[in-house]
Amino acid sequence: MNFRILLSILMVGVFSASGQTFDPKKFSSDGPVGIYEHLDEILPNDIWLVNQDSTLVNLKSLITKPTVVSFVYYNCPGLCSPLLDGLAEVISRSDLELGKDYQVITISFNPSDTPTLGKKKKHNYLKQIKKPVDTASWIWLTGDSVNITKATQTFGFRYLHQGKDYVHAAAIMVVSPHGKITRYLHGTYFLPFDLKMAIVEASQEKSGPTISKVLKFCFSYDAEGKKYVFNITKVTGALVLGAALLLFLILWLKPKQKLNT
Amino acid sequence: MSETVQHLNFFQDTGGKKGIWAWITSTDHKRIGLLYFYSLTAFFLIGVLLGILMRLELMNPGKDIVEPQTYNSLFTLHGVIMIFLFVIPGIPAVFGNIALPLLLGARDVAFPKLNLLSWYLYILGALMALSTLLFGNAPDTGWTFYAPYSVRTGTNVTIAVLAAFILGFSSILTGLNFIVTIHRMRAPGMTWFRMPLFAWALYATAWIQLLATPVVGITLLMIAVERMLGIGLFDPSLGGDPILYQHLFWIYSHPAVYIMILPGMGVISEVIPVFARRRIFGYKAIAYSSLAIAFIGYFVWGHHMFTSGMSGPARVIFSLLTFLVAVPSAIKVFNWVATLYGGSIDLKPPLLYALGFIFLFLIGGLTGLVNGALAADVHIHDTYFVVGHFHYVMFGGTGFAFFAALHYWFPKIYGKMYDIKQATRAFWVLFVGFNILYFPMLVVGMMGMPRRYYDYLPQFHIPNLISTIGSWIVVTGLIYMIMVLIQGYRKGAPAGRNPWGGLTLDWQTDSPPITENFVEIPQVTEGPYEYK
Repeated sequence: MNFRILLSILMVGVFSASGQTFDPKKFSSDGPVGIYEHLDEILPNDIWLVNQDSTLVNLKSLITKPTVVSFVYYNCPGLCSPLLDGLAEVISRSDLELGKDYQVITISFNPSDTPTLGKKKKHNYLKQIKKPVDTASWIWLTGDSVNITKATQTFGFRYLHQGKDYVHAAAIMVVSPHGKITRYLHGTYFLPFDLKMAIVEASQEKSGPTISKVLKFCFSYDAEGKKYVFNITKVTGALVLGAALLLFLILWLKPKQKLNT
Repeated sequence: MSETVQHLNFFQDTGGKKGIWAWITSTDHKRIGLLYFYSLTAFFLIGVLLGILMRLELMNPGKDIVEPQTYNSLFTLHGVIMIFLFVIPGIPAVFGNIALPLLLGARDVAFPKLNLLSWYLYILGALMALSTLLFGNAPDTGWTFYAPYSVRTGTNVTIAVLAAFILGFSSILTGLNFIVTIHRMRAPGMTWFRMPLFAWALYATAWIQLLATPVVGITLLMIAVERMLGIGLFDPSLGGDPILYQHLFWIYSHPAVYIMILPGMGVISEVIPVFARRRIFGYKAIAYSSLAIAFIGYFVWGHHMFTSGMSGPARVIFSLLTFLVAVPSAIKVFNWVATLYGGSIDLKPPLLYALGFIFLFLIGGLTGLVNGALAADVHIHDTYFVVGHFHYVMFGGTGFAFFAALHYWFPKIYGKMYDIKQATRAFWVLFVGFNILYFPMLVVGMMGMPRRYYDYLPQFHIPNLISTIGSWIVVTGLIYMIMVLIQGYRKGAPAGRNPWGGLTLDWQTDSPPITENFVEIPQVTEGPYEYK
């Protein structure tokens, strides 16, 4: 709940900063701006983008492990910095290791952004991460308008050009090692736990560790609240049934003691 | 059998303690059973009083004696007290405790201290529930505590809900105790199928208590958490789901209906063969149908929610399962009637109450099928038809079974016999009054009178008036019955070991039973109802 309120306030802030009045139509399902979840969609093979070292790369072949994708543009006055701050923070706080367990790709959807600017940004945000990480695993991409459109459309990320700036929403999207979109985490602030759950889900094609399977049973994604919730009903139900079964088995299998008179 | 050593009965053996301490610190299952009996009776009478006040308010259209808000609290507390304090613990806590070890040929239940603890939990929960009557505003949500209203109302719901939670623990502990007792403490030679049917019924009940009660415990705790911390679980304005509450509540509360009725059916299965002098018809069918009712009873909860938002297929499935659960119940009724056929019937009060049970439970059960049919339910949902239906099942069923058990085991417990003639008259007053009280509710419900309002339209006046007059007759019958029993306790003739000529082990020891029940644990060589 608080998430969405925060997000709305932020977005209203962005609109008023760029001289726009708040228009609820923009939030309706057929509006031009927003993030329309394309869960289970597989990334196409033909998205070619340029990384911060000016090398042409194929987006799909970059993804070899669970990947967190975010869309920003580099001279963004509003939502992008909070989003990237939030991303850097959750990378720092998470007990997952960037580079080992997952990687991060940030894509600029402004065709006039350059790899040089991307390199500078990358440097800045890496400094915000308060633990040693594999710096090569946060990849900053730019591209031409054709490839950017292909990428944003694949993710259901819709934005609107307004003068120098863009109207857009904020989220991070998690892609599985095989290029399937498995989860959207909305907003600009992310809980390490939510990130961990999303990564575990994305990597489950690769049979995750047992502890993660337990986590998967006990927590499920609440589409309304946009976060992972503890499944109190499922967990207590399983515990009660298990305990009752155990009692029955003990009574059934363990021989009756001889009663003393 | 002559005895040279005089054994103290459980009233005489105080364990070296004085006065009330000999009771509230005793771990003797018979004393604990009586503790339950006296406390349950007290709460039952409070519940009756609240019910009488409601009927007085409904005697005429418009306001008679109480304000609407007071009426809302009356039906809430009447429900909470009757369901959580009387009908659910009812037969298992009182007669299960007293009779189960006797029937099994055991010296006590498996965990006597746990047994005493469960009584203390019961009293704690009961006092909390009653405290809402005296302090602050009494809860006004109905005994179901439906969210989101129960989350928002300014009345004392938190305490009432926590009380029900604690009572749930008491119920779980009793269930656990009985399961272990039945598995572990049967007398030598008593195989599962030589066990009295009351024990089978308690066994099925105990599993429901153990498995279903935690659900309502957690649910009620969630309400308390939502009210105190504002976490959105059930209230939609906090992001919760009110339908989820209804599901969780009925996942417990429907099986709880079988916690209420199964032990009652067990009592009837004990009483009928004794007073028909015949081996019970279809022993295994009755035993297995108890388990079947307990099992299917888990999967019918949705029939309480036909009108509150459920998919079509789900409603059809729940309706079908509801019809299925009627099958084992009907099996029992047919078996009881078949047992009576050709028997030498002795119409003593316990059998009268058992026959009253069959008659009233039949009406309650068949109106239950009307509720369980989808199309009919849309029409009668939340009307007085439902109120009539569940009073026939719970009071006419469980209540009358409770009275049957009381009249059946009274001479065993106190060692004295009440006046049979007077007790028979009391039964008829109660039975007639019962039908005058509740049958008009079925009619007025069909006419469309909604439940839970302190007022009604003028066209419903006559049935309501009849019903209120019926309530006076019922109360007269109850007082009459209690007076006869008290008189029997004070001045009754000694009953002897086996006044009814029963064959189960409870009748083979002294009345009142001695401490630890048997001088020597009996050897069992045949089934419990082998009348020749």
